Amino acid sequence: MAEELIQVDLKGKEGAIRVRSKVSLWLKRGIPLLILAILALLPVFQIVEGTLNYWIHMLMYVFLYVIMSSSWNIIGGFAGYVSLGHNVFFALGAYFAGMLFLATRISPFISAPVAGLLAMGFGLLFGLIALRTRGSTFIISTIALVLLMAELFDNWKLTGGTNGLALPLIDLPGQFAKIPYYYYLLVVMVLCVVASYFIKHSKFGLALRAISQDETKAEVAGIPTRKYKILAFGLSGLFIGVAGAVWGSYLTYLRPSIFLTVSLGTSIVLNTILGGKGTIAGPVVGTAIMIAVNEFVVAKLGATELNIVVTGLILIFVLLFFPEGIVGSLKARNKLPSFLDWD
Amino acid sequence: MALLEIKGLNKSFGGIQAVSDCNISVEKGKITSLIGPNGAGKTTVFNLVTGLLSPDSGEILFEGKKINHLQPHQITRMGISRTFQITRDLQEMTVLENMVVQSQVHGFWDMFGSSMLKEEEERAMDLLSFVGITHLAHEKSKNLSYGQKKLLEFASVLMSEPKLLMLDEPAGGVNPTLLESIIDRIVELNKKGVTILIVEHNMELVMKISDPVICMAYGTVLAQGSPKEIQDNQQVLEAYLGE
Repeated sequence: MAEELIQVDLKGKEGAIRVRSKVSLWLKRGIPLLILAILALLPVFQIVEGTLNYWIHMLMYVFLYVIMSSSWNIIGGFAGYVSLGHNVFFALGAYFAGMLFLATRISPFISAPVAGLLAMGFGLLFGLIALRTRGSTFIISTIALVLLMAELFDNWKLTGGTNGLALPLIDLPGQFAKIPYYYYLLVVMVLCVVASYFIKHSKFGLALRAISQDETKAEVAGIPTRKYKILAFGLSGLFIGVAGAVWGSYLTYLRPSIFLTVSLGTSIVLNTILGGKGTIAGPVVGTAIMIAVNEFVVAKLGATELNIVVTGLILIFVLLFFPEGIVGSLKARNKLPSFLDWD
Repeated sequence: MALLEIKGLNKSFGGIQAVSDCNISVEKGKITSLIGPNGAGKTTVFNLVTGLLSPDSGEILFEGKKINHLQPHQITRMGISRTFQITRDLQEMTVLENMVVQSQVHGFWDMFGSSMLKEEEERAMDLLSFVGITHLAHEKSKNLSYGQKKLLEFASVLMSEPKLLMLDEPAGGVNPTLLESIIDRIVELNKKGVTILIVEHNMELVMKISDPVICMAYGTVLAQGSPKEIQDNQQVLEAYLGE
């Protein structure tokens, strides 16, 4: 009798645990999917109400930076090679699609994937040379790449020099003009984050993580480290190139002073570190927080340079208490809400 | 035919001749020990064979094929695995990941397959149970003790099913009980057909399980023979104790 009772009790407990784990699984997948659904439906409100242009613009800004940070994470987060020059892929994508449009009228929406492949090809070539180095030498080589590219584009007739290139506005009423760009970037962002998940959980990703821990050990374990690093560097340029093509067309003007600054390359890295490099959700969380804070400060205090001070302070304080970034440190302490645990 | 053949090997760092005209041959199926005083060039020989260093001159042949200028990962894939004098583990990765990272990727598309295939996980767990640390499989390797890291490294290099296993001081920093267990594992592996080359200072281990023993000093081979012959060799004693 007593035994039976205990068994029933056990069953009840197990059942409760099963229900709880089902609920947490639902939350884990449900909340990100809900956010995604809201993001996907937002332009409908814009079409009906026409009052969300500001939000659409800000969200596109977030999508763009998430694409850049999440891509950077493949080489910088997984493999541990910090590149401060990933905005070069962005510029290449934008200029390629822009110039192609001016010459042939082929829409950047069509040429964007090609722009991505071109950026990736460039990444493989640059990686072939620069990934012979590591540590600070590698970092400096990526800064040098940005400066070199800026110099080149500033003085090259074909790219319009410092004046850059002007592209026509999209042929849609202002109310709807942002929407195609919005969806394009949203899709590319989702693809990019999903791709980074699959890379992390592949043999390739495991090898990249091994490289970040101890490159000699990885090599002796049978991993062709040089080949893998070059491939990771190239892959990390793919989605940034696509985003560049779309963003350039959205801005309607391409200038080295927008695309090829060291501060842009750095902010990609800082956003990722704030969120947690090497994690899947980190680049998304870090980027969203940084852009939100920056925008809030600008809205409250006006376009002074104070926003830079505030974001700097936030970065310092967060990293003081979350040395592995928000997602990374919370996960290490087992305090990460399940809906942010995308690893 | 010898499994590993080193002929006239030379390597110098600046003005120091670390390995000089060194000739070693490792017979298939045996446990060969490499001994010698500090600075004799034993670890340098290991680094040259595994491709972490490239020789100034000389030849290294594995199964009759020259491997001098291959990259370390290519040499590993030919069937040579090694451990390090001071264990090298992938700190932020779990014990299981440390194991599986050693298994081989065959084609380009395998790279994008799952990081841990079912059969790899099973094989890794088998090897972890071989050294008795299955309970640590999901622990990050940085949380392991030094002895446990030694066992992990020993188990992980077996993932690639090496023909030649090179152990750099397997007894270094290990307590006597653990040492016994490591010795047993080495002998058991050897019985399964793995050829083993050991660098070791622990004479108890060397004399107990290896034959032949090769003694190096000043970058070259001083003497070679059975444990007994080496123990009685006057030159070897001088190299260790000074004159």
